[in-house]
Amino acid sequence: MAETRNIPRVVVVGLASCFGCQINITNIEAHLMEVLGQIDMRYWQLTSSDSMPEEFDVAVVEGAATTEEAMQTLRRVRERASAVITIGACAATAGIPGMAAPDWEPRVADVYGAQVPAIVGDIACAPRAVSEVIEVDYAVPCCPIDPHDFVRVLQKALYGGNEYDRTSTMCGECKRNERGCFYGRQTLCLGMVTKQGCGARCPNLGRPCNGCAGLSPDANLAAARIVAERSGVGAQRLDEALEMFNQESLRSA
Amino acid sequence: MLYRVIDADELPALVEAFMRDYEVIAPVRSGRSFAFEAVSSFDEIVLDYPTTLTSLKKYLLPPRETLFEYDMEDGVTDYELRVQPRVLFGAHACDINAMNNLDLVFEDARYPDPYYEAHRAATMVVGIGCTPDDSCFCHLLDSGEVRSGYDLFLVDIGGRYLVSIGSVKAADILEGACSPREATDADRRAFREYTRARQQAFNPDIPSVQEIPMLMDAFHSDAFWEELGSRCLNCTACASVCPTCYCFDIRDVLDPSGETGRRERVWDACTSPQFALVTGGHNFRAGTRERVRHRMYHKLNGFNSKHGRYLCVGCGRCVHACKTDISPIKVLEFFEQKGAEDAE
Amino acid sequence: MPNSMSVHVGPLAHDAAVMDGAQLMSANPYRPWEARITSITPLTENEKLFEFRLIDERIREAFHHEPGQFVEVSIFGVGEAPISISSSPSKGGFIELCVRRMGEFTRRLHEMQCGDIVGLRGPYGRPFPFDDMRGHDVLLVAGGLGIAPLRSLINNIHDERSDFGNVTIIYGSKNPSEVMFRDQFEMWRHRKDFDLYLTVDNPDDTWDGEVGLVTAPFEHLEVDPGNTFGAICGPPVMYRFVVEEMRKKGIPYDRIFMSFERHMKCGMGKCGHCQVGHQYCCIDGPVFNYWEAKNIQGSM
Repeated sequence: MAETRNIPRVVVVGLASCFGCQINITNIEAHLMEVLGQIDMRYWQLTSSDSMPEEFDVAVVEGAATTEEAMQTLRRVRERASAVITIGACAATAGIPGMAAPDWEPRVADVYGAQVPAIVGDIACAPRAVSEVIEVDYAVPCCPIDPHDFVRVLQKALYGGNEYDRTSTMCGECKRNERGCFYGRQTLCLGMVTKQGCGARCPNLGRPCNGCAGLSPDANLAAARIVAERSGVGAQRLDEALEMFNQESLRSA
Repeated sequence: MLYRVIDADELPALVEAFMRDYEVIAPVRSGRSFAFEAVSSFDEIVLDYPTTLTSLKKYLLPPRETLFEYDMEDGVTDYELRVQPRVLFGAHACDINAMNNLDLVFEDARYPDPYYEAHRAATMVVGIGCTPDDSCFCHLLDSGEVRSGYDLFLVDIGGRYLVSIGSVKAADILEGACSPREATDADRRAFREYTRARQQAFNPDIPSVQEIPMLMDAFHSDAFWEELGSRCLNCTACASVCPTCYCFDIRDVLDPSGETGRRERVWDACTSPQFALVTGGHNFRAGTRERVRHRMYHKLNGFNSKHGRYLCVGCGRCVHACKTDISPIKVLEFFEQKGAEDAE
Repeated sequence: MPNSMSVHVGPLAHDAAVMDGAQLMSANPYRPWEARITSITPLTENEKLFEFRLIDERIREAFHHEPGQFVEVSIFGVGEAPISISSSPSKGGFIELCVRRMGEFTRRLHEMQCGDIVGLRGPYGRPFPFDDMRGHDVLLVAGGLGIAPLRSLINNIHDERSDFGNVTIIYGSKNPSEVMFRDQFEMWRHRKDFDLYLTVDNPDDTWDGEVGLVTAPFEHLEVDPGNTFGAICGPPVMYRFVVEEMRKKGIPYDRIFMSFERHMKCGMGKCGHCQVGHQYCCIDGPVFNYWEAKNIQGSM
C-alpha cells in the first residue's frame, strides 16, 4: 500500500479566538511527535512570531474573522492551500465572537459613541465564520476541539477518507452512552439540535450540551421548540441558549 | 421445554455460579432508569425492572468493533478479536426475541458474520418473566413470549421460580448451584396465575391491529408519514436504544502515526440524514418523511418479507427515547384511526 | 471477573497457508484481498477503466463473477467503495472496473498508478440472468455511467454471440465527450451482429450518432416481445421512462431487468445502507426484474 508522497507543508493560523484550540493540539502529547512526523510544519502562529510563509499545502485556521485584515489573510490562505481545515467553534460558526454579530452597527455606537476610533471603523467588521469568507474543506468542531478529532481530520486531509460528514443531532450518541434526558428534569440541553460527533461528551459528564459543535444543518428547530415548551423548559430559553455558539447559523436558518 | 422449580433464595447461588466462569450482565438501577451492566454481586440486580434505557444488542454487536487491522505498507495484518464470555441475566422475552432476530441477520447461512458469531457463542442468556409497563406492546407483535434463544428462563411464581431450561450447559450450572425440583400442581397453577396477570397488565390503549405489513404497503403514500416525519429531530436516539436496529457503517481509522490503521464498523441508523446517500450526492431518502417511514417499514413489513417475523419486538424503548413521540405505537394508532374513520 | 478469550477471525497468516481460495474468502468475509492495478485506460475526462489482478493465486482462482455483480474496493486508510464489474467473466484472471471520479475515494483511486495495490472483496449481488437470456433477443439500455455494469453483460454476450438472437444496444450520454468505450462501440457500429444506438443530448460538430434521450430510438425499434430480454442501467430518473418503452413493446414484466445503484457498504445484507423497501440491493439485487421492482416500496 506504499504511496510516494511529498511531505505536506502545513500552516496554523489564529484569528479572533482564545487560541485554546491551538493549545489543545499539544494535548495529544503521546502522539504529537508522530503527527508532526507526517507533515512539514511551516508556521504555527501560537509558537512563532515569524510571518506566514508564502507556500504551503494545508492551512489550519482557528478563530472567527473580525477584521478586514483577517478576511485578507483567509483569502490568501485559500489561494495557496489545497486544503483548509478550521478548528474550533469560533472558526466554524463564528462562535463566541459571533455573539456580537447581530446589530453590529448600533453595538459599535453603544460602545464608542459618536467618536468611533479609526481602527473600528476601518478595520473591524461584524464577526464571521471562516466558511462565510472562504470555502472550507474540513472542520474540527467544538469549543475547544478534541485533539484526537484534529488528528483524524488532518489525516483525512493528508490521505483521504470516504466517510460522510454526518448531520444527525446528538441525542443518538447520548443514548449510546445510556444517558437519560435532561428534558425529563426540565433542564435545557441543546443536544437535540446540535451536530453529533463529539460523543455527547458533556451530557456524559452530567452537563447539558451548550451547542459548541454547531447547529446541525438538519436540526429541526420547530420540533425542538415544541419539545422545550412541552417539557417546561420553554422555547425562548432554547433560542437564547443557541445564541452563544450559533448566532450565524440562526440568522441563515 | 424442560422445566423445574427452584426457591427464590437459591437465586443468589445461581448468579454466583455464573460469576465463576462468566461476566454477568444484569439490570441495575441507573439514575432514574435501569441499565444492563456488569455486576459483581446478586444484590446489585433489580429483578423486577420495568425496562432498561438501552438494550442488550451492544453485547453481540458492539457500538464500535474492529474488523481487522492493516499496515499501510503490508496490507492486512493478523488480528485477534477479544471476546468476553458473558451471561446476560434477566432478559425479558422481547429482548430475547430481539436477539433471535439479530441471529437471522448475522448468522444467515450465506454470509455468517464471524464477529457476531464469536460474541453470540460466548454468550449465555437467562431470561426472566416481566410485568409490562404502559409502553410495552410486545404481545401485539408476536414477541411477548419466547420459545428459544435462551439458556434459562425464570418466572417468579411467588417465593419460587419456574425455570425453563434451554441448554445442557445451563442445566449443569443450575443443578450444581441449586436444587431444582419437579413442579407440583400448585406450581403450575401459580404459573398460570402469572400468565393471566401479565396478559391483563398490557396497556389496553395501544391498539391491536391485524395485517400490519399489508397496511404498511397500503398506506405507504398517506399524509400521515409527512406529519410523523415532520417531527423527527434527526437525532437517531430511536436506533441507539432499539434492540433490533442493527445497521452499521464501515470506516477506516488511521493510527496517529499514519502508518497503521484499522477498519471498524460502528452503529449507524437509517434515520440519519446521510444513511442512503450515494457518492455523487444523490440521497435516496433525503427527507424525514422517507427516513421515518423506512424505519417503520423495515420494522413492521420489510423484515417480515424476509424472515416471517416483525423486526420490532414492542419493547417500548423508542417510545421513551423519542422526544417528539415517534414510535410504532403511533403507527398502530394511525391504522386504528383509519379504520374508524372509514366506519363513520 | 473471568478473563476474556481471544478468537481468531481468520485467517491468521499461518492458518491461511493451507487454505484454498474459497476457504480464505469465507474465513472472514470482511477482509479484502490484495489486487494489483495492471492497466489504467482513461475513458473520458472523469472516467478511467482500471484493470486489476488479484495477487494471491488461490483467491484469483476462487473469484468468479457474473455480469451485474460488484466488488468492494479498499484503499487502506481511505475506506471502501462498491464498484460494479465492467469486464466479462470470460476475461479470466483480470477484473475491470470503470470508475468515475466523484468523491474522496474515487479521487484517490484516480491518483493511483499501474502497479499500485488495492484491496478487493466479493463478488457480490445477484447478476443479470445470463443463462436465461441465452437463445433470446436482448435489448440493452444504458445511460451515462450505467454502461459500466452493462458492459460486462455486453462483452459476455459478445464472447458467446452465437447463443443469442438479435442484440440491440442503446447507450445515451449527455455530451459526446462523455461517451465511454467509444472505440469499441465505433468498431461495432460497422458489424451486423449488434444493433447499436449511441445517442447524446447535446451533440457537437464531431458527433455523427443519434441525438436525444435513450428512449428516442424505441420509436423505430422492432422488438419480438415474446422472445426478448431487456436490461437497463443508468441514473435513477431514467428507469421509469425506459421501462415504459419496453412495456409498450410488449416485453413481459419479469423479463425487464434493471440494476439499482445504492451504497452497498457490507455487500452481505447486513449493514442496511443499500436497503430499498424490503430488499437489500447487495444480496437481493442489484439486478431486479421489473415485477420485483414494482413490488419494492419506494424503488422507482
